Amino acid sequence: MSQKIGLACIIDDDNMYVNLVKKIVEARSLCKNLMVFQNGKDALNHFEAILTNLDNKTIPEIIFLDLNMPVMDGWEFLDNFTKIKNKIGKVITLYVVSSSINPVDIERAKSINLVKDYLVKPVTIEDLESIFLKNTL
Amino acid sequence: MLQNELFNSVIRDSNAGYWELHINPEREIWSDKFCNSLGYSKEELQPTIDYFLEHLVHQDDVALFRDNFISYRQNAVNFKQHIKILDKQGGYKLFRCATNDELPVNIKSEVSLVFFIEVKLEPEQDIAKDNFYYKETAQMTSTGSWYVDFKEKKSYWDFETKRILEYPDDYIPSLKDSANYYAEDSIQKAADLFFNCAMTGVPFNTEIKMVTANKREFWVKAIGKPIYNDSKEIIGIRGVFQDIDEIKQKEVRLQKSIDIIASQNSRLFNFAHIVSHNLRSHTSNLSLLVQLIEDIDNPEEKIGFIKEIKQISYSLNTTIEHLNEIVAIHTNKDQVKKKIKFQESLDLVTNGIGQMISMSKTKILVDFTDLKEINYVAAYLESILLNLITNAIKYKHLDRDPIVEIKTYEIGKNKYLKVSDNGRGIDMKLFKDKIFGMYKTFHYNKDAVGIGLFLTKNQIESLGGSISVESEVDQGTTFIIEF
Repeated sequence: MSQKIGLACIIDDDNMYVNLVKKIVEARSLCKNLMVFQNGKDALNHFEAILTNLDNKTIPEIIFLDLNMPVMDGWEFLDNFTKIKNKIGKVITLYVVSSSINPVDIERAKSINLVKDYLVKPVTIEDLESIFLKNTL
Repeated sequence: MLQNELFNSVIRDSNAGYWELHINPEREIWSDKFCNSLGYSKEELQPTIDYFLEHLVHQDDVALFRDNFISYRQNAVNFKQHIKILDKQGGYKLFRCATNDELPVNIKSEVSLVFFIEVKLEPEQDIAKDNFYYKETAQMTSTGSWYVDFKEKKSYWDFETKRILEYPDDYIPSLKDSANYYAEDSIQKAADLFFNCAMTGVPFNTEIKMVTANKREFWVKAIGKPIYNDSKEIIGIRGVFQDIDEIKQKEVRLQKSIDIIASQNSRLFNFAHIVSHNLRSHTSNLSLLVQLIEDIDNPEEKIGFIKEIKQISYSLNTTIEHLNEIVAIHTNKDQVKKKIKFQESLDLVTNGIGQMISMSKTKILVDFTDLKEINYVAAYLESILLNLITNAIKYKHLDRDPIVEIKTYEIGKNKYLKVSDNGRGIDMKLFKDKIFGMYKTFHYNKDAVGIGLFLTKNQIESLGGSISVESEVDQGTTFIIEF
């Protein structure tokens, strides 16, 4: 009996994309809750706050991270998040989702331990569905 | 008489004329070779010392030769000397005289011998010829020679060194003035090379900028090597200067073209990347949207997505407009440079955004006194000023009204525009490499688009200039443009 993912997190500055993913998640009821950050800095602030107050309810099980974002981009977020991830004490699966098809970006992302996989936009509904299902326990 | 035979064959084969000194009766036998080398036949000459001294020997050499000869004949005192002897043509030939002790040790002569070995001087003509070739070579290759004498503390230049350095023929170079011979940015290099060569004997072969007497800078190939005396001390440096200015200028121009091509190439690559990325983000959304529409059964919801398509279409258009602007910078045929007064260009800009300036209570301080005008593309200068001023206002410090200082100045041949503000600043540690990137914004403003500085940089670089930035959070930001 698989259990649905409770909380997923999207870090992306493209509102259109975020809205569409939200709609897909709703339509297919892929998870209970979705949290969204406009850039890496906002997301990092959230996770750093969690460290001081370990409230499991706001720790996502899965993160979809964009690379090109203002203020703090995906790379910088990964650098910082790697440093604090182990202190969070919960398994978080992270996917990079970017429209970059630059092989340098793809190789670089995949070489980071934290990154489970690299998805090239446009993602398909089937992709999203299988990822959500794969990560349910 | 084996020894004598050996001796005879050696003598016969040698090139030297000689005398055999016999004791009983006391007489000299002059060899054929001796007579021939002076152009005489044997019959013309009386082979006696008295005749020789009286008729054939140059008077300068008579006394010395007589003394030497008598000591040799009577007491077997060997001698060596130079002697000038009259030849048949009436000129004097120089000979080196030597006696028995010059013979190889294994040959023992029973008679005393005097050898006369002709000393062949380099004919005057050949020296002149060589001198001619040397001068031609020096001139044709613009290569001058020089020597620095450490003992005498003097330098010597040949005619060509003086010519390429534009000094008069009677100029005497001086070590004290040596700094004057090199361009300012090459003095240290020259000093290092000469010092190393003088102290440690390291030869040098380099390209260096020199200055002529007329203060014209030019490139030379400078080659130098240490000169040693017999006790292996460095007593001077000898070398050449070759004028390679023409070649070097070509090289510099070539390097410049390479730099321009490289920068254009990298901008093109960057542009291709931007195009691919920026367009892809919209088409991805479109594709996702289409999937969603197909996935949904409810017709009303489907219609609801139509407005999303509108939004994507609008974003796509905006992106394409931005890309067009960038393309325009590189292909615009109207890039006509003309003389523009900074003040006039600034007036146009401030009039256009007058309301923005007054609403934000922005103060603009202007100083164009050092550089009033510039040869530039008018639209670009306006765009640059507009972008930097509106940025300063958009990202003003929340605690104070914006002050923008605009100053132009020159350093050497280079012209600069400096725009500083007292805004909130940019965290250089985080954003140094990204400030001029496309769609990079560093603040949370809604109206941040992230295209302005990217365009500014492209415009400046397309005209061969550069832009740099210094900033400190909460202090302000300074942009410096080198035209």
